[in-house]
Amino acid sequence: MDVSSALEAHQNKFKSIEVEKLVPVEFDLNLLAAFDTNAIDEKKLSSKKENYLKELNRDNAQLLFNQIFKLPVESTDAGLLAKLPESSHILPREKALPKAKPMTRWEKFAQIKGIQKKKKERMVIDEATGEYSPRWGYGGGKKDKTKDWLLEVPSNVDPMEDQYAKLREEKKERVDKNKKRQKRNEEEASATSKGQDPRQVKKKQLQDAIAVTKRSTASLGRFDKHIEGEPKMKGMKRQFAPNITDSKVEKQASMDILNKVVGKNGEVLNVQKAVRQSKRARK
Amino acid sequence: MRPLTEEETKTLFEKLAKYIGSNIKHLIDRPDETYCFRLHRDRVYYVSESIMRKAVSIGRDQLGSLGVCFGKMTKTGKFRLHITALDYLAQYAKHKMWVKPNGEMPFLYGNHVVKAHLGRVTEDTPEHQGVIILNMSDVPLGFGVTARSTTDSRKLQPTDIVAFHQADIGEYLREEDTLF
Repeated sequence: MDVSSALEAHQNKFKSIEVEKLVPVEFDLNLLAAFDTNAIDEKKLSSKKENYLKELNRDNAQLLFNQIFKLPVESTDAGLLAKLPESSHILPREKALPKAKPMTRWEKFAQIKGIQKKKKERMVIDEATGEYSPRWGYGGGKKDKTKDWLLEVPSNVDPMEDQYAKLREEKKERVDKNKKRQKRNEEEASATSKGQDPRQVKKKQLQDAIAVTKRSTASLGRFDKHIEGEPKMKGMKRQFAPNITDSKVEKQASMDILNKVVGKNGEVLNVQKAVRQSKRARK
Repeated sequence: MRPLTEEETKTLFEKLAKYIGSNIKHLIDRPDETYCFRLHRDRVYYVSESIMRKAVSIGRDQLGSLGVCFGKMTKTGKFRLHITALDYLAQYAKHKMWVKPNGEMPFLYGNHVVKAHLGRVTEDTPEHQGVIILNMSDVPLGFGVTARSTTDSRKLQPTDIVAFHQADIGEYLREEDTLF
């Protein structure tokens, strides 16, 4: 019995599983997604929109199913399950890339000098006890000598000096110095992140501080000594002597200034003249 | 119009001292009348007290000039002498330089004094010293600054500069509108 004609008739009832595309469709099977980058037929879309979209969807879904059926399968209690591969699709970042942190002074210096950071182990062996202890932090580091019950007094120092106090002071100095540098790095970083010159920012701060201190005297800084290159104060009125005063007082004031300018004795020594006169006197 | 501040007086005296040294005291302390320095529109005026007292009653905008203008305060706080101060400078000058008749006109047109035009100079004038420049008949023509000391200038070429021009009486014509 020839069943081929019957089979053909049956097959013609369904659409083919073969779909042809100009540009091959991309798949991400992990997401069960297909990405069709082929151009849409504008004519069909405007005339038979619904039909065209249905058709397009069927074709692409067919392609996706074809891919899924190619996957390796495993049988479980729930039936045959396809093993999905790793996702190949890369989603773009939601947020912008983080900005590089401004370099600290040490990092800048190390970069210029070509000093590389060395990776060190967290735990180090303590040679005295033969045990591992953390390099720094709790239970580690150079043992705090201030906790020792006995300290050696070096032969070249004052024997009555308190060695504990000295160590404490040294440590405090180190910590303070580091804190100061940390603060400076933070200030410089905040200035550079705003696109300003850190030196100019610091200068501005100092000038503002001067302005505040000047204004904080009872006379609003009128009688303060002027520093050279001092910024001009805003809102501070200059006060001039009245036009008509006691002429004697004014004369005396100018004389005082004159004495400062040319010196009390009048003239500065004319060296050449003095040399010549002494030569003449010797002859 | 106002009196000079201490700072301004100092810069003024420092400049004057380059020409007349301690003779400034004769300007301040005069036997005939009391004179004072007053600042008006950045210009320093040397004025007798009686005229100054009269000028007080004139408004700042209306007051053009008073007494003798000695020069102006620049915006950088320096003092620049004007030729109008020549009368007093010549009177009390410590160092003088005389130019020959053929050097008078070049100097009056604003040129430096060259060795060839140098007639006479005060003995022992140091380098970079303010000098009054006169013609051979003792008429003051202006003032300048020596380029070399008296002894050094003897060895110079005739075309070399002996004094740098600062101001000359030709400015009465050239800078008529800004001078007073």
